Amino acid sequence: MNVPKTIPQRTLRCLVFSVVVSAIASLAVQAQSLPDWQGVWIAEGLTPEISGFPGPGAQYKLLGQTAPWNEQGMARVRVAQANQADQKADGWGFPLMMNAAAPLQFLIAPHETLIINVYRDVRHVYTDGRDHPAAGDRWPTTWGDSVGRWEGDTLVIDTVSVRDPNRYFFSNPPLSDQAHYVERLRKTGSDRIESTMTIEDPVTLTGPWVVELDYVRLTGLDRLIHDAYDNDRNEVEDGLFKIVPPKE
Amino acid sequence: MFDGSKQLTLTGTVRVFQWTNPHSYIQLVVKPESGPQQEWSLEMGANVYLYNLGWRPSTVKAGDTLTVTVVPLRSGAPGGLLVEAKTADGKSLVGSSAGDRP
Repeated sequence: MNVPKTIPQRTLRCLVFSVVVSAIASLAVQAQSLPDWQGVWIAEGLTPEISGFPGPGAQYKLLGQTAPWNEQGMARVRVAQANQADQKADGWGFPLMMNAAAPLQFLIAPHETLIINVYRDVRHVYTDGRDHPAAGDRWPTTWGDSVGRWEGDTLVIDTVSVRDPNRYFFSNPPLSDQAHYVERLRKTGSDRIESTMTIEDPVTLTGPWVVELDYVRLTGLDRLIHDAYDNDRNEVEDGLFKIVPPKE
Repeated sequence: MFDGSKQLTLTGTVRVFQWTNPHSYIQLVVKPESGPQQEWSLEMGANVYLYNLGWRPSTVKAGDTLTVTVVPLRSGAPGGLLVEAKTADGKSLVGSSAGDRP
């Protein structure tokens, strides 16, 4: 049989073209089947008023009041409360960014979902089938390591390697870096996303801490607007909070 | 921080409106019935929060007369959290009330 030793140039081009078209088509089909969570969202009840704070009755659900703290967890909570008087933060960090007075967006692509808030807290949730990196290839960080998968229209996010969240922002729960977070998010209406976050931490909790979270569409923002912290006029002096005069 | 048990009503003239992050500020010059005038630093949410509520950088200008409701600083210094602002003709610039900071 006469078998050619090399593939003719024209055939090769056709093959490459077919592979590329097939890949693009596959991605397009995947993208079409992904949920549409466009827009700007915020945790229900936490939309800030002109003071910068949500209105009366606002409930932050991830501060830790309902967490099943064990003895070590309670000890951490006491230390955190004692140290928060003059603390500042550059953002909310994880997990508090998922229940914050901070607008956020979900950017859904076939291989990854990005969760970004107005304070530039960013979570990369890889949905390409990968697992977390091996233990030796990751370390605790403020936002942790997240992988996800789609179960129908529900995004399931598995997050590990989150550094004690209270170190970044004093209102975060003082969980350990061994905490394991699982979130199940689903858009249940045109203006509503519902989520359940389950946190397990062998160091600070006696059992799973389950928190129901909801996000509503923020109608006043057509985009996320990021800005530098270039006018922080809050200082603490002799134990008293003050507003320093404008620089001008 | 702020004394949530108190609210003050002040009327004054805007000297500066800072449309900034992490907080916006109105510097309001207030002339009390007696004594020298004082400049109050009125803290508000970040500019993006105000934008969401319909405010814009031009919503308040230097020279505007405002009547404001303020939760004062515990220190007694002339500053506080702005929870409501009305223009000279009584129009509310979006009401608010102080919730709890996490």
